[in-house]
Amino acid sequence: MALQDVVVMDVGGGSVKMGSARQADTPKVFPNASAKLKGERQTFVGEAMLGMKDVLALSLRRPVDRGYVVDWSLQREILARALKGLLGGLSASSCGLVLTEPYLNLPALREAAVRMALDELGFASIYMAPPAALALRWHAQQMPGLPANAAGCGLVVDAGFSFTHAVPVFDWRVLPAAIRRIDLGGKALTNFMKELVSYRSVNMMDETYLLEHIKEQLCFVSQDTAADLRAARGRASPFRREYVLPDGLADTWGHVRTAEEAAAAAAAAQQQQRQGGPQLPKQPVLMVNNERFMVPEALFRPTDIGMEEAGLAEAIAAAVQAAHPHLHGLLWSNVLLTGGTARCPGFRERLFAELRPLVPDDYELAIYLADDPVLCAWRGAALLAASPSYPRLAVTRQEWRSRGTAALAKWEQ
Amino acid sequence: MSDKRKLRSRKVSERMAVVDEADRRRVIQARLAALEQDNHKEDDFGAGSDDEYELPAASGSDAEEGPTSGRKKKKVKVGGGMRKTRGMIEAKAKGPKVFRDFLEEAELERLPEGEPSYLTAAVGPPRTAAPRKFCSVCGDLSSYTCTRCGSRYCSRRCHAVHTETRCLKFMA
Repeated sequence: MALQDVVVMDVGGGSVKMGSARQADTPKVFPNASAKLKGERQTFVGEAMLGMKDVLALSLRRPVDRGYVVDWSLQREILARALKGLLGGLSASSCGLVLTEPYLNLPALREAAVRMALDELGFASIYMAPPAALALRWHAQQMPGLPANAAGCGLVVDAGFSFTHAVPVFDWRVLPAAIRRIDLGGKALTNFMKELVSYRSVNMMDETYLLEHIKEQLCFVSQDTAADLRAARGRASPFRREYVLPDGLADTWGHVRTAEEAAAAAAAAQQQQRQGGPQLPKQPVLMVNNERFMVPEALFRPTDIGMEEAGLAEAIAAAVQAAHPHLHGLLWSNVLLTGGTARCPGFRERLFAELRPLVPDDYELAIYLADDPVLCAWRGAALLAASPSYPRLAVTRQEWRSRGTAALAKWEQ
Repeated sequence: MSDKRKLRSRKVSERMAVVDEADRRRVIQARLAALEQDNHKEDDFGAGSDDEYELPAASGSDAEEGPTSGRKKKKVKVGGGMRKTRGMIEAKAKGPKVFRDFLEEAELERLPEGEPSYLTAAVGPPRTAAPRKFCSVCGDLSSYTCTRCGSRYCSRRCHAVHTETRCLKFMA
């Protein structure tokens, strides 16, 4: 039976990227979580969270723990709800599925994923691959001129929500023995920022969801931490920003206060004082200063927050070292940054400055930031789903029913 | 008289207590673990559904039983809700399954030597950089260490804030 469509899902710890291979320009991106407003019964699941008008004091539940899906019933519900809208009238049993799989997945979790996709969601066939290999496919299509891309070779840095991986890829396959992982990702950084601002400015311990938004807007990677820290001292710090918190009415997410706004507020307060009227109520603002660059800094030096792990540059160097020596030149010439955390401004420049001293000087070092780091793996997966090799790679429901886990052996990473 | 002195000496020693290395390490680990937490709290079984109501106890019986009974409210089941099996109650006591449980079940230590797995991918301790030290209050570079708890601070002002807010708070 010919497949009518292939659905592509990149299920990450932070967000789900979902779309169909036929319409490869418009994937849906929504949080991989369910949210409940404190004191209310209604639960917003996955895609429904995008339409929320109130983002304060959310109680979040995530199916993913440390990068691996552990709560399969919640995960299924999140995916099933979004699927209904995506497929429209089509039935899942006439569709294939490309699903991303975490690096070095545990066998039990891989089985659970296949069971969910084929038995519970009812897809006709499934192919699972780690996101790094898929991201490199998209990158190779964007930059076909690179010799490394022609060989399907590159080092993919996946700075995700749950952790950060340095993954060497050769011939479109990841090299599992050479993968290196830092147990720090966007989630830990958000929570770290939450802790810092709660102690120093306004208590935000319950506002993880909002803080993630603030982090994405304000954080950047410092090129010279010591100098920036010195500059951040005192009242005249160039990094000082005020974030106006949501008022629960018109401004759902709040915003960074601009200079004009601050001046207008000060003028209004002054006028009020001159007229002898009552003091204007202050807008609730969150003050951020050196947190803006000290938070992403933790990824480059995890020891700063007490974590006994090497930084990102060293992890990449270790991953390349673990690969075959003949590949080193190709890997260094094609370092690809993907994942939401890589969007942080200054990430690539800082990484280059830290990595260059660790690379032997006979090798050229080139770091590319994917044009859309979040969707890179999804687009690569969509390419694969639309390619003629999909039926060969996929495991069909009949194979799964008759041979069980043995049918999955053909995906060995 | 002697009681009084005992009380006083105990108070002094508590205030002067120095947190040892093991405790400092434990505090840091707890903080790192908190970075991976969600704020979700597991509900009671059936709390989301409508099959259980809490009926306030009649005021007359409340007065008879004294003030302690105020906490106990009779749960009256209305309609046929899901029955709690022993397995469900045990599972609830353990909490939802987290990644660590799956990792233990997979028994990756028993894989043959050199087989790549979750454990071999860990990047390990750094070799090129020593930890830097930042003020625990303002985040600036710091040059001083709190003598009691080992946190860093950069100035007298930050030290004052630190002793007032954080120092030894985790000991209580």
